Amino acid sequence: MPESNSSQYVGSRVKRREDPRLLTGRGRYVDDIKVAGMLHIAFRRSDYSHARILSIDTSAAKASPGVVEVFTAKDIEGEFNPVLAQSRMRDYQPTIMQILAADKVRFVGEAVVAVVAESRYLAEDAAALVEIEYDELPLVTDPEQALINSSAKLHEQMDSNVLLQREFNRGDVDEAFYGASVYIKERFRFTRKTSLAMENRTYLAEYNSAEQALTLHTTSQVPGIIRDILVDALDIPGSHLRVVAPDVGGGFGGKTSLYPEEVLAPILAKKLERPVKWTGDRIEDLISTSQGFDEIIDAEIAVDREGRILGLRADVIGDVGAYSIYPWTAGIEPVQVVSFLPGPYKIENYHGRVRGVATSKPPTGPYRGVGRPVSTFVMERLVDMAARELQMDPREIRQRNLVQPHEFPYKAASGIVWDQSGFTQGLNGACEAIGYDGLRRTQAQARAQGRMVGIGIASFAELTGIGSRLSASPGMPINTGTETASISVDSTGGITARFGVTSYGQGLETSLAQVVADELNVEISQIRILQGDSAAVSHSTGSYASRGAVLGAGAAILACRALDQKLKAVAAILLSSSAEDILIRDGVFSGPGSDEKLTFKDLAKAYYSQMGLIPAPIRNEIGELSATQMYDPEWGTTSSATHIALVEIDPDTFKVKVDKYVVAEDCGQMLNPMIVDGQVHGGVAQGIGAALYEEMIYDEQGQNLTASLVDYVVPSATEIPRMDVVHLDLEKPKTLGGVRGMGEGGTIGAPAAIANAVADALAPLGQQVTTLPVTPQRIFELVQAAKANQ
Amino acid sequence: MKAARLLPKSAPLVLLAASDREVIMKPAAFDYERPQTLDDALKLLASSDNAKIIAGGQSLMPMLNFRLLAPELLVDISRIDELRGIRETKGRGLSVGALTRHHEMETSKLVEERFPVIHEAMQYVAHLAIRNRGTIGGSLSHADPAAELPMMAVLLDAHLHVAGPNGLRQVAARDFFLGALTTDLEENEILVQVEFPGLPKRSAYAFDEFAQRSGDFALCSVAVILSWSGNFLTGGKKIGDVRIALMGVDETPVRIEVAEQLLSGAKHIDDPLLEQVASVIRDTIQPNGDLHASADYRRHLAYTMSQQTLKTAWQRLQGQTDED
Ligand SMILES: Cc1cc2nc3c(=O)[nH]c(=O)nc-3n(C[C@H](O)[C@H](O)[C@H](O)COP(=O)(O)OP(=O)(O)OC[C@H]3O[C@@H](n4cnc5c(N)ncnc54)[C@H](O)[C@@H]3O)c2cc1C
Repeated sequence: MPESNSSQYVGSRVKRREDPRLLTGRGRYVDDIKVAGMLHIAFRRSDYSHARILSIDTSAAKASPGVVEVFTAKDIEGEFNPVLAQSRMRDYQPTIMQILAADKVRFVGEAVVAVVAESRYLAEDAAALVEIEYDELPLVTDPEQALINSSAKLHEQMDSNVLLQREFNRGDVDEAFYGASVYIKERFRFTRKTSLAMENRTYLAEYNSAEQALTLHTTSQVPGIIRDILVDALDIPGSHLRVVAPDVGGGFGGKTSLYPEEVLAPILAKKLERPVKWTGDRIEDLISTSQGFDEIIDAEIAVDREGRILGLRADVIGDVGAYSIYPWTAGIEPVQVVSFLPGPYKIENYHGRVRGVATSKPPTGPYRGVGRPVSTFVMERLVDMAARELQMDPREIRQRNLVQPHEFPYKAASGIVWDQSGFTQGLNGACEAIGYDGLRRTQAQARAQGRMVGIGIASFAELTGIGSRLSASPGMPINTGTETASISVDSTGGITARFGVTSYGQGLETSLAQVVADELNVEISQIRILQGDSAAVSHSTGSYASRGAVLGAGAAILACRALDQKLKAVAAILLSSSAEDILIRDGVFSGPGSDEKLTFKDLAKAYYSQMGLIPAPIRNEIGELSATQMYDPEWGTTSSATHIALVEIDPDTFKVKVDKYVVAEDCGQMLNPMIVDGQVHGGVAQGIGAALYEEMIYDEQGQNLTASLVDYVVPSATEIPRMDVVHLDLEKPKTLGGVRGMGEGGTIGAPAAIANAVADALAPLGQQVTTLPVTPQRIFELVQAAKANQ
Repeated sequence: MKAARLLPKSAPLVLLAASDREVIMKPAAFDYERPQTLDDALKLLASSDNAKIIAGGQSLMPMLNFRLLAPELLVDISRIDELRGIRETKGRGLSVGALTRHHEMETSKLVEERFPVIHEAMQYVAHLAIRNRGTIGGSLSHADPAAELPMMAVLLDAHLHVAGPNGLRQVAARDFFLGALTTDLEENEILVQVEFPGLPKRSAYAFDEFAQRSGDFALCSVAVILSWSGNFLTGGKKIGDVRIALMGVDETPVRIEVAEQLLSGAKHIDDPLLEQVASVIRDTIQPNGDLHASADYRRHLAYTMSQQTLKTAWQRLQGQTDED
């Protein structure tokens, strides 16, 4: 078959087609959408972390100007079927989602009363008039307490506060530790964060009672998942329930779960037969959007004299918050800490245990990197600590333990299988790019002058583009392994490609257009990409877990191939050639049997509109000029990278300055190197936030002390250093298009690299970095402790 | 009521999404007036029990959006021209109208020439967008414990001119700031200008500030003025006027007089003296701990930053010769 795939778009730095729209304020986000008769919701949220609701008085709120109705849990009883996140995990206890808190509240910020009014101001006015009487219940804020104390239970019907428990075993760990020459044991703490998308969560529900059809506009990364669950929750057929995620202003995992407000808006729209909107404000975002990480990790490593890792042990307590979030469950974050802990290293003896404990805080859920920022932090710290004991260079100890190129596929200690990926090449590439040996010499000089300068390395691997043989969250019963693309040529020759995978600022709209343009051999501007609509394809779960490009591109390739067949069959007739001889170049069909050339428009007109050109039986066989295909990468593929950071600590203020930052990564075939760079830059920026700035702080009463951006400190552009990104050009994986996922890697590597660099800077003081973020306050404490030890 | 605990301790910074096509706003309803003269403004303030002045809105709007405040009437003073501008006063001083924007102050040649310390401190006030709208009067009246302008007023012994129903009165900066977000201003008064008396001729300054991110309110800030006194020709010169102000370490900006006295009269500042002064500063301040910095860490910052700042000021002072 003469193929003319010149691959002119894939692999090149095509400018992002969404940018002119998004950067000039012409994007259309949920909150930009206004419909006639639209009402607004304001919530009265819980002030207590754990309390029984004794009474709710809504009379004053109901009488307040502009108020249409006020709802409590009682008022919506029976309007929906219970939602709960199931799992096949043993020892897992699901929790039932509270749309509005019924008998008791389980975290500060949980919605108790919904006020619906003609404007948001009036709704807020009235919400302030609601009176709720509470009876405080025993505190369940400390995960270690909650673990052992079964008398203070957050969910009474449960056996305990432990929502899940899981263990991983390989080899004989005790034996391995027995023979070790270096043994490190440490308690690590990766504090709670929030994904902090620029756009807060917003929902607009419209119910058409004449057609009994419901449309929900939502700030979601996963409109398909939301549609599927709402069909069950609201008893509306999928054909009549459309979930649309228009432009979405960032997600980072915080918009991959179903939220109570997202169920409530449709319920109220249906009840009131008027469109209903809720726009979360920043406080609501900080106290009610799913949060990330929050683990205590007791970890031990045993290493021999040559620096080879003999054994690894970890006990993880995940503070998962009040509910097991839909659909991922409370397992998604903490279980991955344990399953990914062995990292890219050869470890024959491993024991990992994790327990996810319910506490009276907002639920945790997926946050960019999920589990692996934590596992990488712990593992990379342990490896550095062992190297220091052995007086071995951190690069050398990694080199000795990484899975080597000839050892793939490699089954890691937790059962994860790594396919061929540039583990060692990443380490070497990063060292080369930053001039590692020279940097160590510079550091020695700086140390001699009393300066606190540190270098930190972090190597890691991740599974991306996971197919149907694995679940994106342990034991979760929904299929996260396939994606669909539907590509059609209409009667004017217009090419529309519909996808289930969503864009929320990461550039996928452009990357997918590149793939389609190359596959069909047309100019990229001819292609319209439609995403973010549950009606676009029959089944989709959206974008998360570094799957969008892998599954989206794979589905696009399959659909384009099928469409290509149809187009060539038609062209063959029109150009008196055989289908195998048809060439498509720059959107023009040609064949040896004719001098004529056909554009897509010519071909489409001839096929659809000029009757008589194509014999009816053939048209009946070919059907519409469109193709819909699903792609399933089965196991998915391995992405890997090494990050290296150079930092200096100000001796007076203890502020950490990141002076150099290098990433060397293997993401397979890059669809668009500019977008890949952007994803790495953004991911590293978030990782720097996790390492140096961000922490959700709760007091012992469960009050969030960081409920504004004054106190929840995120880095801004001025805090983020220049970064160099090295893309390794290695053997491509077996995914269609050779793509590996790379949306999360930046966030996975950066906390560990920064932590190791800060620890290296503090090494002369004999202090360890075990808690992130390592703020100036924490460094001050470490320095004080060192002084006290002297 | 517990709900208040959801709210940030320091001035909340969530800004109003004021787009003309958008009607969703957060504050409770209020009346709005925009007088053209000071007299009219004072009358409007007197007309309501629950009126609030709005100038640049950079601190007030977030408080309204959080509903920490729900005034009945907002009196927008931004069109009162008589409150605008920077003027020279006798003795190398400056008088700054309350409506002068941070950015005007930051870029004013007069300010840079006469009070380079203010010029430098202004770079640390928030971000350019906020400096473009925020006013000097607003900053002084708002009295955030970690704001630069109140600190400058205290450092430079400024006089604040206040207009009220009974006419004008003057308050010394040190008597004006009473606590966090609390000043000597009455509800019905308007700060009209702040006057910075000129500095001695041969003086030097230094300023330093530490915040977690650029543009944040400071965790600690130190400002110093050192001046020569005595006769240069006869070799009798010694340090005369000394001012040391810190901010972020108490409810208001503070002057550390005991430390100032240690330096006043000295002919030379050496390292042991620096250390002694810094220790006195550290032991005198009474910082509070919060989420981002414990009291101990703030003392540490005060100590190290004072030492550095004094050193810089001293080096600069030594460069001041009698030809000036
Ligand atoms: C993100 C952010 C960061 C910031 N960082 C800093 C910082 O680092 N350092 C810093 O100093 N500031 C900072 N600010 C505060 C900013 O400088 C304020 O805008 C300014 O201090 C207040 O001036 P304004 O004109 O906007 O006052 P407004 O917000 O209009 O008013 C503030 C208060 O002062 C009262 N008021 C205003 N003018 C008068 C007057 N003439 N007489 C009597 N009362 C009056 C008002 O009634 C109100 O109570 C920051 C603000 C933001 C949003």
